[in-house]
Amino acid sequence: MLQLIWDGLFVGSFYALIALGYSMVYGIIKLLNFAHGDLYMLGAFIGFTTLTAMGGVTASMSIVALLITMMVSMLLTGGMGVFIERVAYRPLRNSPRLAVLITAVGASFTLEYSVAAIAGPNPRVFPIRLESDTLNFFGARITIAQLVLVGIAILLMVALNAYITRSSVGRAMRAIALDPKGALLMGINVNSVIARTFFIGSALAGAAGVMAGAYYGKIEFLMGFVIGLKAFTAAVIGGIGNIKGAMLGGMLLGLLEAFGSHFLGGEWRDVFTFSVLILFLSLKPTGILGERVTERV
Amino acid sequence: MKRPKMLVISLVAATALTLTGCSGGLLGGGSSDEDGPIKFGMLAPLTGSEAAVGPFMKNGAQMAVDEINEAGGVLGRQIELDVQDEACDPVAAVAAANKVVSNGAVVSVGGYCSGATLPTLPVFEKANIPMLIPAANSEDLVNEGLKNVFMVNATGSQQADAAAKYIEKVGAKNVAIIDDTTSYSTDIAKATAELLKEKGVEVQSSSVTPGESDYSSAVNKALSITPDFIYWTGYFQEGGLILNQVRQAGYTNPYMVGDGSVSPTLIEIAGADVAEGALATMTQTPDTIKGAEDWIANYTEQFGSEPGPYSTQSYDAVRIAAHAIEEAGSTDGDKIIEALEAIDGFEIFSGPLKFTDRHTLSVGGFQILVVENGAFVLKDNLQ
Repeated sequence: MLQLIWDGLFVGSFYALIALGYSMVYGIIKLLNFAHGDLYMLGAFIGFTTLTAMGGVTASMSIVALLITMMVSMLLTGGMGVFIERVAYRPLRNSPRLAVLITAVGASFTLEYSVAAIAGPNPRVFPIRLESDTLNFFGARITIAQLVLVGIAILLMVALNAYITRSSVGRAMRAIALDPKGALLMGINVNSVIARTFFIGSALAGAAGVMAGAYYGKIEFLMGFVIGLKAFTAAVIGGIGNIKGAMLGGMLLGLLEAFGSHFLGGEWRDVFTFSVLILFLSLKPTGILGERVTERV
Repeated sequence: MKRPKMLVISLVAATALTLTGCSGGLLGGGSSDEDGPIKFGMLAPLTGSEAAVGPFMKNGAQMAVDEINEAGGVLGRQIELDVQDEACDPVAAVAAANKVVSNGAVVSVGGYCSGATLPTLPVFEKANIPMLIPAANSEDLVNEGLKNVFMVNATGSQQADAAAKYIEKVGAKNVAIIDDTTSYSTDIAKATAELLKEKGVEVQSSSVTPGESDYSSAVNKALSITPDFIYWTGYFQEGGLILNQVRQAGYTNPYMVGDGSVSPTLIEIAGADVAEGALATMTQTPDTIKGAEDWIANYTEQFGSEPGPYSTQSYDAVRIAAHAIEEAGSTDGDKIIEALEAIDGFEIFSGPLKFTDRHTLSVGGFQILVVENGAFVLKDNLQ
């Protein structure tokens, strides 16, 4: 039992990191960024390239190398997120919602197949792998690598939460989420704040990509697709647009999956996950922590 | 405004025609004439998740084609190999099959992923083109009883036989079998489980969804019965991850994979130390066949790399096809099929060839490999 809970929380922390970006973007401009999962994939590939470039240094100090790689990867995927927003979303900001949704799908495929064209379609093996001792915690196997990764994920999430609730940019973000035109009238540079939102969300996805690469050892160009959908599900469960909800939703989804596949069998894992998504959307579309938004006319 | 529109329409039309296989007729490229080269079509994964295997199949087939052409060809005509990408994807495979048919192939010597090869069967059947499938080995391929389908590779049930035989031999009593829900993988898993249960072995079957990274729930489930043997029947990407994850979880007993997982990438993904000692059920490859040294040397000289999986089967498929056409004295589909059914004792790598009533090999050659010093080597030929 404890093992199931730990496995669920571990996978859930990846979902939560990615769901944060989804949720932030949705909260601020009401856009489902389908390319978000692919930024996770891009992060993993940038990490791969960085580590390969660093070469022999990595073997002796793998944790330091991994942290540097994560920084590089976060900067670049963040930049890519801003670029996508500038090219594919901003020109369409006043168009019907459907148009933006379709460019999001387009951006997703562009990312996937650009990486496939450059790096090749075959899976790649990550140059360093986190291997560590196993702790036995009341019968559950917990590796130190897992603890480190969950620690990094929680650190990133706490930092993000502080940034949004304390800083002026965070306040601006929340203002735009409430009323973009009003925020503009109050002298907020809406475009720059939205770009910053994309940067942060994408950087978190990139960090998750590097972490997944280092832990599982295998990366491929389609790895972002399913996890993107799952992050979306996590965001919906927690209440899309709500930062704490995204974290909670990610963890909950991880647990749901762990228990679902334990009791129903591995082939039912995705059926179970996405049935929960449908249930939530039809019964409580605002999610657990979301509030009902009254549309003012 | 009018011109761009027209351009778009004609482009779409041209694409549609190409996709439906009409390009041959439009461009006049069909080669049904009697003195041009005889075309052998081949579908192989040149891109996609299994892209590593495509070149081996292509090179093996090309070697046979070159040898036959040097010796004067078939019916006095040269052979030409037409390789198209199936990408291990049903949609791409059907498009490729249509392309091969419209290019004027008289036989097909390809097919790697069972799931992608299945939907191409009706395409070749409609054109009455005999198929010699060198790699794909799902039972579903022959279950429909199509008369143009022949398998040069042993089937899933023959693989299951080999797996069960070996598991019994090492005396395992608690076996966990994991599949990846594809038709190829569940075939082997089910058949192996049945064989083992008949022999009184406890079997626990479970499935995973391919394409993910975290298989901890499958691993925990498999380990919950404290197995003394684990058999994974899917492809190498997940196979490597699961191997790594069961070892991390403290499992030390044998771990065996099916032929879809026999790839150097499996060892890389699992990690070289972790993969050491992993077993595999595998059809004969050049480096496990006695007396194939010359063949390997030729291959290496010609293509600059060692021959990989399914190169011999592809080589054999071409030779069988050429032999049948020669015997039939014609490139007509029905006559070639008759000649194929009549073959008895034609020497191929896996032994003397004779097709069963179901058009599968009567002598199937599965054997057990083991990872030693980071490479798959022969462990037991089960003879």
